Amino acid sequence: MYEGLSSPNIHTPANLGEYASIVLHYPRSSLWAGGTFIMSRPDSYPSRKMNAEIIYLGEIEELHRFQRNDRFAEFGAMVTLDEILNTGKAVLPRVLIDGIESIGSRLITRRATIGGSMCTKGFTTSFPGMMIALDATAEVRFIKKKRLHSKWMQITRLMDRNGRIVLPQQGMISRVRIAFTEKNCQYFSRIGSFMLEPEKSVSASFTATLDQDILINPKITFTYPNLGICYSRDIDSLFTTLRFPLDDSELMNLESMVFTFIDSFFQGISELQRIRTKGILREIVENLNEKALTIPFEES
Amino acid sequence: MKIDCTIDGKTLTLSLNSDKPLSLILRENMGDEGYVNHCGGQMCGLCAVLVDGRAMLSCMVPAFEIRGKNVVTFESFRRTRNVKDIEKAYESVGAYPCPDCYASRTMIFESLIDEGVSDSTQILKELSMVRCPCMDPDDEIRIVQKGIELRRKRNVRRTQFA
Repeated sequence: MYEGLSSPNIHTPANLGEYASIVLHYPRSSLWAGGTFIMSRPDSYPSRKMNAEIIYLGEIEELHRFQRNDRFAEFGAMVTLDEILNTGKAVLPRVLIDGIESIGSRLITRRATIGGSMCTKGFTTSFPGMMIALDATAEVRFIKKKRLHSKWMQITRLMDRNGRIVLPQQGMISRVRIAFTEKNCQYFSRIGSFMLEPEKSVSASFTATLDQDILINPKITFTYPNLGICYSRDIDSLFTTLRFPLDDSELMNLESMVFTFIDSFFQGISELQRIRTKGILREIVENLNEKALTIPFEES
Repeated sequence: MKIDCTIDGKTLTLSLNSDKPLSLILRENMGDEGYVNHCGGQMCGLCAVLVDGRAMLSCMVPAFEIRGKNVVTFESFRRTRNVKDIEKAYESVGAYPCPDCYASRTMIFESLIDEGVSDSTQILKELSMVRCPCMDPDDEIRIVQKGIELRRKRNVRRTQFA
């Protein structure tokens, strides 16, 4: 129906060298990984941009590589979520597995890629939050002085003040490295459909080591698809000061303090997102309470 | 953009917008309006087709990605022997999808049966994409398991994926 109106030019580089030269020629081009997010937008077709340039990353061999040793797993940005589940379900962190499984059907996970899930424009999936909780690092490729450079960065450093992942101009994530963590408390929860009801959904990722009744190195992120990721070291340190199990008054206190930080991050959280965040937080604390009460008995 | 692909066994060269969704190509260019829906991002799950033997939502596949690929829609799949196994499975379980989701659900069943997926959680997850509530989850599991059994009896080779 719209044939010939504004058909984007598709570039399919076969390696990163070709990618660099295309980006230099077309600095305003958009990157296309699995396309699950772009294609699910109601206004994705016909393209509104005239003379749009799309770089399809699916043909770049380097981005499909998967490597694993006893310390970490390294995924190329174009490794699909289904491939991650198939190759490392037994060894990968629980948060990552639960996060991928919460997406649901393999009709989606077979196409969605790890790099694409982290770099969606104007929308945040639960992935970057998960990666922050796992202390993951990403290799960012960017053009500087007409050359392709790479730099390993912590995902937290890619986050801007609004909680969105921001890459350097003409940059892309080429690899993601996830350390095999020894943390014994890992928790991921998502409520609502990120794609269909972004203003009602929320997800949270939590990792920590529970030793006796205190948490060591806790990391917690809340993701609001329409707003961004809420991650603060202050929230993490709130958890380090707690002694589990918590009673109701301590839980209420924790809740109000967490919400003080969340409110300072985002003003536009809907009432439903607030209630759902509260529910997830309670669930996390209940799990920790349970663990704190059972672990000493198991050890003895 | 000119795209060479095989749709329902026909080798075609289509002149299309490069980002046109496969669901729209099938509806507008191939006239397959009866079996493929285009919900415009509402995730209805009623547009499943087989691309190189694997079930995919055609609204998620842009035109440039079907270059050189083999697309099978329900239109041609319903004339194959494999569909008989699924129909027999429907009959033996005594549950049929409604006319709205029949094509899409059958294509997903075919993909699951071909892969030999018998794990009930995985079956339900895969079928959760179809938003139509016409089928009971237990029936869906039984249909896939029955389909796998029938396929095994016929000694059909599974599709080899690249």
